[in-house]
Amino acid sequence: MIVTVTLNPAVDKMYWVEGLKMCDVTQEEFLTRAIRSTTSAGGKGVNISVFLSRLGIENVAMGFVGGHTGHVVVRDLRDEGVTTNFVWTHGETRVNVTLLQVGREHSPNLIDESGQTILPEEMDRLMRRYRRMLTRATWVVLAGSLPPGVDPGIYGEMARMAKDAGAKVILSAGGEALARALDASPYIVKPDTREHLALDGKGLTSVDAIVDAGKHVVACGAEIVIISHDVTGDIAITRDDVWEIRASTPTSRFKNLVGADDVFLGGVLYKLSQDALVKEALRFGLAAGLASAESEEKICRNMAVIEERMQNISLARL
Amino acid sequence: MKVSEIMTKDLTAVEKDIPVRELIFILNNAEMPNVPVVDEDGILTGFISEKDLIRAALPGYFEMLHSTSFIPDMNQLSRKLTQIADEPIERFIQTAVMSVSEDDDDLQAADLIIRKGVKNVPVVDADGRLVGRVRRIDLLRHFL
Repeated sequence: MIVTVTLNPAVDKMYWVEGLKMCDVTQEEFLTRAIRSTTSAGGKGVNISVFLSRLGIENVAMGFVGGHTGHVVVRDLRDEGVTTNFVWTHGETRVNVTLLQVGREHSPNLIDESGQTILPEEMDRLMRRYRRMLTRATWVVLAGSLPPGVDPGIYGEMARMAKDAGAKVILSAGGEALARALDASPYIVKPDTREHLALDGKGLTSVDAIVDAGKHVVACGAEIVIISHDVTGDIAITRDDVWEIRASTPTSRFKNLVGADDVFLGGVLYKLSQDALVKEALRFGLAAGLASAESEEKICRNMAVIEERMQNISLARL
Repeated sequence: MKVSEIMTKDLTAVEKDIPVRELIFILNNAEMPNVPVVDEDGILTGFISEKDLIRAALPGYFEMLHSTSFIPDMNQLSRKLTQIADEPIERFIQTAVMSVSEDDDDLQAADLIIRKGVKNVPVVDADGRLVGRVRRIDLLRHFL
């Protein structure tokens, strides 16, 4: 059983607009009409759960939800066929807004809320449920930002518990939450480099810096480290190899980049859970991420399109 | 059709040592009329509902009355609930719990829900672990 943990899920609200102007003079109102909009459950682990479910893989999504928006998240996940196991909190699940300007979808504007503050007793409830889930977990995905009130050491604690229970851990996080989980030796580490452009205090702008940072994480005990290089390429570092995985596609084809990175990781997990080789899993993952980025729908559900995109993926040893 | 194909795949459940106050919070926020009770391995061991809490907070002779108007003072309910709010729910759990297996036929779930007049029935796997629940609305949606 695959278990995903999203401590700070969201309702993803996306608006497609013709243009987005900021008003610089005082007036009563300044209206931008949306051409279309969508509402869906979001958050890194949640996106991975939805992707896996669309490929027919049973999985359980866990985390915190609250209020009206919490019901939106749970309802959407159930409609997608994901098994839900969320702790209800006193607060309200956050809403993340994406503005996509038609013709410039490759450069979306994101407004992310920080999320509801989690109380100590709510964290205790989650840990009890998590402990129960570990009795049937083979893979555990710990993904996304931490909501206010949660100790940055939590992913390390959860990763150690999962390893002790015999499950493999995938960690996709950034900042202190990531740094403090590395000594728990997750199986796969994918640093969130959107805000935290450094790992272990080192900038991640050049290939050499990425490889050095990845080797440091592997030395801490991780089997595979995947670091985004640019929007169409990632670098994967293992004990024996360093790979550059690249998608040959113009960025002008991108219709919706939100969640594409999570689909990449979901694709890697999909293949590894079926005992595929790491190389094969990486290629499939990037093809799935590419297929999602090229579709208006946040998460691609079409296996035929993913298989077709495999032709656009190259993998070279560095 | 199998139960696993029509059930609501949700693992919301409680353990027997949580206080009544926490149970009420969960039932309210998750909008569930009842919740399965599981052990630390997720094995179904009981069931507790809003009705069980109301029964626990009302005088013993309540079941014999036909109307709540015979209760002299509704503050009794409030006082009793306040008294038990921090007690573990263990005392109020129904341990003779009905359940269906995920491999059972949909008609078996429908039969239990209709005959017993319950709002939903927990679903367990071959090891007795909770994997979901079948609600009345799942049946209605399924058979429409």
